[in-house]
Amino acid sequence: MKKKKISIGMIFVYLLLIFWAMTTIYPLLWVFQNSFKAKNKILENSFALPTGALFTTANYRKAFRDLNIFRAYKNSLFISTMVCIIVIILAGLASFALVRYSFKLKGLLQTIVIAGMMFPVFATIIPVHRMEVLWGLANTGSWLKSMLSVILPQVAGNLSFAIVVLSGYIKGLPIELEESAFLEGCTPFQIFTKIVVPLTKPSFATVTIFSFLWSYNDLFTQMFFLRREEFKGITTLLNNITSREGTDYGLMAAAVTLVVIPMVIVYIFLQKYIIKGMTAGAVKG
Amino acid sequence: MKKLTAAALACTMAVSLVACSSAPKETKAPETTAAPAETKAPETTAAPTEAAKAAVELEVVTTFAGNDQNSQNYKDAYKAWEEKTGNTVVDMSATSDETFKTRVITDFETNSEPDVLFFFNGADANPFIEAGKVMSIDDIRAEYPEYAGNMDDGRIAPSLVDGKKYAVPVNGFWEAMFVNTAILEEAGVEMPGPDYTWDAFKADCQKIKDAGYTPIAAALGNIPHYWWEFCIFNHTGPEKHLNVPETADDELGQAWVDGINDIKELYELGYFPENTLSALDEETFNMFMEGKAAFLIDGSWKVGGIVAACQTDAEDPSTLDAEKLADYDVTYVPGSDVRKASDLVGGLSMGYYITKKAWDDPAKREAAVDFVTHMTSDEVVPVFAQHTASALKNSPKVDESVFNELQVKSMAMMAGCTSLTGAVQDIFNGDCRVSTFDGMGDIVSGDVDAADAVAEGLEIYHNQ
Amino acid sequence: MSANIYKNKKPLFFFLFPAFFFIGLFLYYPFFQNIINSFQHIKVLGSGGNGWNEPWYENYVKLFTDPVVRISLINTLKMILVTIFGQVGIALFLALLVDNIPWGGSLFRTVYFFPIVISATALGLLFNLVFLYDKGMINQILEMFGRTELIDWKGKGLALFTMMLPVMWQYVGFYFVIIITGLNNISGELYEVASIDGATKLQRVRYITLPLVRNVVCTCVVLAVTGALKVFDLPWTMFPKGIPTKSTFLTGTYMYYQTMEAKNIDYGSTLALMIVILGVVLSKVVNMVFHEKEY
Repeated sequence: MKKKKISIGMIFVYLLLIFWAMTTIYPLLWVFQNSFKAKNKILENSFALPTGALFTTANYRKAFRDLNIFRAYKNSLFISTMVCIIVIILAGLASFALVRYSFKLKGLLQTIVIAGMMFPVFATIIPVHRMEVLWGLANTGSWLKSMLSVILPQVAGNLSFAIVVLSGYIKGLPIELEESAFLEGCTPFQIFTKIVVPLTKPSFATVTIFSFLWSYNDLFTQMFFLRREEFKGITTLLNNITSREGTDYGLMAAAVTLVVIPMVIVYIFLQKYIIKGMTAGAVKG
Repeated sequence: MKKLTAAALACTMAVSLVACSSAPKETKAPETTAAPAETKAPETTAAPTEAAKAAVELEVVTTFAGNDQNSQNYKDAYKAWEEKTGNTVVDMSATSDETFKTRVITDFETNSEPDVLFFFNGADANPFIEAGKVMSIDDIRAEYPEYAGNMDDGRIAPSLVDGKKYAVPVNGFWEAMFVNTAILEEAGVEMPGPDYTWDAFKADCQKIKDAGYTPIAAALGNIPHYWWEFCIFNHTGPEKHLNVPETADDELGQAWVDGINDIKELYELGYFPENTLSALDEETFNMFMEGKAAFLIDGSWKVGGIVAACQTDAEDPSTLDAEKLADYDVTYVPGSDVRKASDLVGGLSMGYYITKKAWDDPAKREAAVDFVTHMTSDEVVPVFAQHTASALKNSPKVDESVFNELQVKSMAMMAGCTSLTGAVQDIFNGDCRVSTFDGMGDIVSGDVDAADAVAEGLEIYHNQ
Repeated sequence: MSANIYKNKKPLFFFLFPAFFFIGLFLYYPFFQNIINSFQHIKVLGSGGNGWNEPWYENYVKLFTDPVVRISLINTLKMILVTIFGQVGIALFLALLVDNIPWGGSLFRTVYFFPIVISATALGLLFNLVFLYDKGMINQILEMFGRTELIDWKGKGLALFTMMLPVMWQYVGFYFVIIITGLNNISGELYEVASIDGATKLQRVRYITLPLVRNVVCTCVVLAVTGALKVFDLPWTMFPKGIPTKSTFLTGTYMYYQTMEAKNIDYGSTLALMIVILGVVLSKVVNMVFHEKEY
């Protein structure tokens, strides 16, 4: 595939792709540039560059002065990393079984998964909170327990989505490889770890990204369970920026920038697993 | 001396940290709900100094968090208390929003409430007052006669559940009409005063409109709350304003309908922004700040908002554009025959509660009372209250030089205030509000009759 | 074929139990409470009910008579069409293009992901400013082209368009990532065999790529349909309380509104149940339409 023939069609394709890329890059730039403006300047001058009198670092100064950002990053990363690790393992196992095995309750379980995706957090959070208080998990002074109290419901919340997406990918795998592995004497679990997982590595990376993203951005659960300042994650910490005198848009833009940076890094890092070729070696089976 | 306190602090911190990580709350009174209110721990009264010396960790939830104007004041105040007593405050404050309220209510339901709570005293507090989970001021005074002794009881709002007083207030609020005086000048309109009438107001609006400005900055589709409150107030008057009508047909119900129809009239006359039904509140506020709209009814918290909008750096008061701020003033909302313009909506809608859980815990009772006493003392309250109301008996002398122009104008306006009445929408709360609040767009555009909407809301209210 | 390998059902429990245990405990148990709530009278989120509704199915009657439910269902239906054709369609198109270009692929993969990373509140603010009535970006541009009257993008006529465009745009990146991952699962050997056989690029897409990502696209459509039913954050930030005059409610925003704003918790629970049922039914329909092939 090393042909390098740039045709007119290709130019057109690139123009289209670049156009869409501009629509996706600009908002991030917009947020970034507004994070350097005072809050009252944003509504009037939101599309101007922050130069001269418009420029201020007050928003970042405020964010770093009042808030312990690094501790919050640590909490957030811990929660989200745990969530996506657990999700990926459990969802991987479950979707493999749901796709490959045929059994009586299969249809029902698939429906349960789909329906589980639709449950709104604010319908489920209160019983979950009660349950966790009963177990002595929520509302304690212990860091680990508080982290767990958020991780567990978030795992459940992301599982459905992960199962739906992973099932879609596993379904597309040619079964012949698994058959030959079976003939060589592999157990189903070995087939799963030695054939299915390596072949669908990109899919696992994708689901990891989304589980991470949603756990990271899930304000409602975090606000509900993490009360003490030292337990709060970055999203929760930076969400407390509205008040009755009006939303502080400058601070909000700074907050969004601070929240987005780790997410983009994680994505770029995981992206290399999504890219074609990484899996080529594993296909040999 | 300083070293000593520092050492003591370090010790208590170490102790509390250990307590955090290892023993999850083993010092709790076993059955908070079952314990009768009369069981008093004798040793607390007998040897208060002894008890105070053992460092206590107090869980406190307030709304002084994030961007609240008082969040720094709050931190300073409780740090000072920690220093003074050697106790620790576990601050679990959060910005006041629906999630926060839900969290507080759920905590009470699961017996994991904090020791001290700064919260609303209106309908929002009903669930935990009904459940008997907070101490009334009188019950506390039975043991600590000095508790909230510096407060004028008449100004402390009673609970909607049983009429008892629970929450010790700090800073209050008022609602009034902010004015862009530059527009008034341009349109040849006098600055309104305490005798402002509805008709004069309408005449002024017309002049302003003719001069090419929008008379009123309001997003009726988004936040109709302030107009709803005052227009109804204009027909009910201070005496009856806090009563919810039985039906839409009785005298009071008719007053509500008339009030809402006043808004409709203003809408039909074109005094609201053209996109008032589809705009957001911050958009119309921005119109006001850009000198495009003349009047804005809002709460005392908006003083800070307007001042901040006149600063190039919202965090730095030294960047204030004094010339721009000079264009802003605050006055009374036009009145009627039953309500003088200077009768305002306002009051003290929040306060400190001591939970029964803390009260029943011999280790914490003393500390909780002492904490609230400190946070509501004559020295601390004025810092929080500034130009808004407080319930202090001795109103403190204010040093005007530390305030900006709009704050000074606000104080002058409040000095002429003839009465302060609570907001009926804090009682008329929840889904009964839907038909007249979120339905305001339908009402003013003529799709729904105001009387029907009021009737619908009242029916829901009385069926609760 | 698969019968041989997976005939022994014993490992099933091991594979399925952990995930479904979590789902059962943290989603289904609470959600059954939610169903019970829908028959009770609840005024404060977080508090127990004050007794049963009178009659107990009151909320379900209301569901059928409430005109706003009808509006939100119609709007959601439009949203579903927009998500299927707009989001998944554009995402598939972009993914196919990116998969077939010689260089820059990973750059596009990165930047197309950006919109999902930014919180809905920030995006809502951005689009509020883009569509702002006075001094908004679009109205300013139109002014430069000589238009004298301001357009109220959030007014009655245009509100739905103004709401759906950003939502559509935001999630293209999401489906893009899912689809391009599916494309990457296809082994390169297949393509090589095909090009030896003399297939053109278009033929390769038509006969190899599309059939193989069919399952993934089907997944995306299911996600799009269910997503449209529950989406609320971005629409809510731009059009709180269904402004103007409740005409922009979606099922997701209406449920949020009833639960968090109107404090009609039990009715909110009823709406949540409606959304779940609609989601399940519609995803069954999607699966039927795609009539998934078993390999």
